[in-house]
Amino acid sequence: MNTRKILAGAALAVAGTLALGGCAAGGGSGQNADGSVTLTLWHNSTTGDGKKYWEDTAAAFEAANPGVTIEIQAVQNEEMDGKLQTALNSGDAPDLFMARGGGKLADIVTAGQAMDLTDKISADAKTALGSSLSAFEIDGKNYGMPVAVLPSGIFTSQDLLTAAGVTAAPKTIAELEAANAKIKATGVAPIAVGAKDAWPAAHWYYNFALRACSKDVLDSAAASRSFDDPCWLKAGEDLQSFLATQPFNDGFLTTAAQQGAGSSAGLLANHQAAMELMGAWDPGVIASLTPDEQPLADLGWFPFPEVSGGDGEPGAMMGGVDGYSCWVNAPAQCTDFLNFLVNKENQEAYAKAFQTLPASSEAEGAVTTPALKSVLEAYAKAPYVSVWLDTLYGQNVGNALNVAVVDMFAGKGSPQGIVDAVNAAASR
Amino acid sequence: MTTQLAASATDAGSRRPAGEGAHRTPSAGRPPARRRLENWRIRGELAILLGPALVVFVSFVILPVALAAYYGFYKWSGFGTPVDFVGIRNYVTILTDPAFHEALGHNAFIVVGSLVLQGPLALGLALLLNRKMRAQSLIRVLIFVPYVISEVVVGLGWGLMLQSGGALNGALEKIGLGALRADWISDPALAIWTLLIIITWKYIGFAVILFLAGLQGIPEELSEAAAIDGASYWQIQRHIVLPLMGPTIRIWAFLSIIGSLQLFDLVWIIWGQYVASTAGTSTMATYMVANGRNAGSFGYGSAVAVVMFLISLAVALVYQRFVLRRDTAGALTGGTT
Repeated sequence: MNTRKILAGAALAVAGTLALGGCAAGGGSGQNADGSVTLTLWHNSTTGDGKKYWEDTAAAFEAANPGVTIEIQAVQNEEMDGKLQTALNSGDAPDLFMARGGGKLADIVTAGQAMDLTDKISADAKTALGSSLSAFEIDGKNYGMPVAVLPSGIFTSQDLLTAAGVTAAPKTIAELEAANAKIKATGVAPIAVGAKDAWPAAHWYYNFALRACSKDVLDSAAASRSFDDPCWLKAGEDLQSFLATQPFNDGFLTTAAQQGAGSSAGLLANHQAAMELMGAWDPGVIASLTPDEQPLADLGWFPFPEVSGGDGEPGAMMGGVDGYSCWVNAPAQCTDFLNFLVNKENQEAYAKAFQTLPASSEAEGAVTTPALKSVLEAYAKAPYVSVWLDTLYGQNVGNALNVAVVDMFAGKGSPQGIVDAVNAAASR
Repeated sequence: MTTQLAASATDAGSRRPAGEGAHRTPSAGRPPARRRLENWRIRGELAILLGPALVVFVSFVILPVALAAYYGFYKWSGFGTPVDFVGIRNYVTILTDPAFHEALGHNAFIVVGSLVLQGPLALGLALLLNRKMRAQSLIRVLIFVPYVISEVVVGLGWGLMLQSGGALNGALEKIGLGALRADWISDPALAIWTLLIIITWKYIGFAVILFLAGLQGIPEELSEAAAIDGASYWQIQRHIVLPLMGPTIRIWAFLSIIGSLQLFDLVWIIWGQYVASTAGTSTMATYMVANGRNAGSFGYGSAVAVVMFLISLAVALVYQRFVLRRDTAGALTGGTT
């Protein structure tokens, strides 16, 4: 009886080891046996022109570099962070992946998973990209290639604003509140917000924080990852008093940001809401959701209104930089592809396909719509541009921050609750 | 657990083939060499038959549980080997986090709500469907359909219909009941009830099928005898059918409780990655994914998983010990009790 038990146990152990050993093998990408190279690329454009841009650009690169194949995988935006982290953990990561700088990229760099690109970015690219490169700089080294700059502001449907009698863009929060009241009277929602995805709601808090907090406070919080300065509380109080005027669409808590006509971008695209606070990628998203899938003809834009009594410099902008990073074990052609991405031609194509602002100053001529021209103008004048706070402070703190803001939107939280949630998250 | 399983399986396995062997060769003076060969044959058979299942069980159940317990003691962002040992801090944070208390409360609400709503409804439907009537199989199919549809489809469908600008509110408006319009899934006061109703709609088919199977197992003669003795239909159901359905109902309740404790997919699809806690529909599982995987705090998430495991295990054991004991006596306990 006993020997039998032991034998059974031993057989099990052996079989188990074999099975586990089998799991550990495999994976990896890059150089194939015949010298050809396969690059895997993860981007977040699952539909329309953006998806086509990646297919076309990859095909052009393959044509110019025989022996290189690019395998494209379009990952839904809300799935990207989690999926990428899992892939990086598993040791079988994509060679090229979307990155937005800040704490999230820093976490990947700290884990030794991102390639140091400092000496691999071409001199031409460095000149053309200018300051947008700094978004991917960590400890003086560069880990990403920017493809678009995405400052945020309020996108509008000019027709709806005109119908409501709002003729001038609101310059202060008080003016915005007055405009909201007029728009509400016409029967459409003043502002759409996709709170289901949390970050669109959180962008309101970020922008209030941008007005309330000085640049130093924003930057030092990136290192300390705690909200000790009283300005964080002021930002929450400002937002709370704005929320009290009920400026948002009905059921915003279960409204997504970008998926379908019922999303916040969809509401704007279908003239169900007059405004939306969003980054500069919004024209492209809205265009894909209009009834005829054409760009919204009456799309307008104005910067986030000023808030009195804060330490932030007027005109400062909150925004992001979209870029691409190479995995640490990616083949050398990965960096060639990054340099290829930011040449004038591809950046112009990018700006057109995504209807957004290109990172390269050479390609700014491709920006033609009035809304984006206003964004570009404000961007050029901005004293500084802060990265999205959830990106800046990393996934852990960023997530808690976003959820705490959504709680406040739903009437469940408080300004102090946001500060507490951030400080609590840092300990997890 | 594994050794117990292995041991009892070994016993059961050895008893049967050995018995058969004895039957084939009734002579008492069997050569010992052959007996040894027989033993090896049995061991080989066991290794082949049990091996794969045990390997899968150990590598995908036991090992992950052990690893989660290990990671739970670290602050770990998921990259590389965990080094930042924090002892039981993660557990202290979980047990003192109001958001976790809320999630636990929602789980408890769903456990009780599912039992109270689904049990009587499903029993009634099963009794109804057990009688001979027109279109019986069609109705059975219709009731069972929601259970077969994937959770994702159910979540997306209901999510779209119940949005503030969705089909339900539109329909209410059109038939002149505009006053009943509500934010079914985004109003924190309503959302959990909406969830409970969707869950009931989705899983009642399973309960009905289980109960129908239970009803089939009750001999017709008992009802006939009772009817001859003058019992009414309701008296028969109350005093004969219901008591005999006991084991089925208790097993269904067990499955329902465990399912409710681990509820994840429907909530995740309808409320997304972030707003479940805000809408008041978060469960322990959504809390785990939101604060573990999504927040990149894999150590913390693992600790939540362990807490969830222990809670489910405790509930399961208590239920087994006090409720299921009679039903499973002899089946799960190896006939020793």
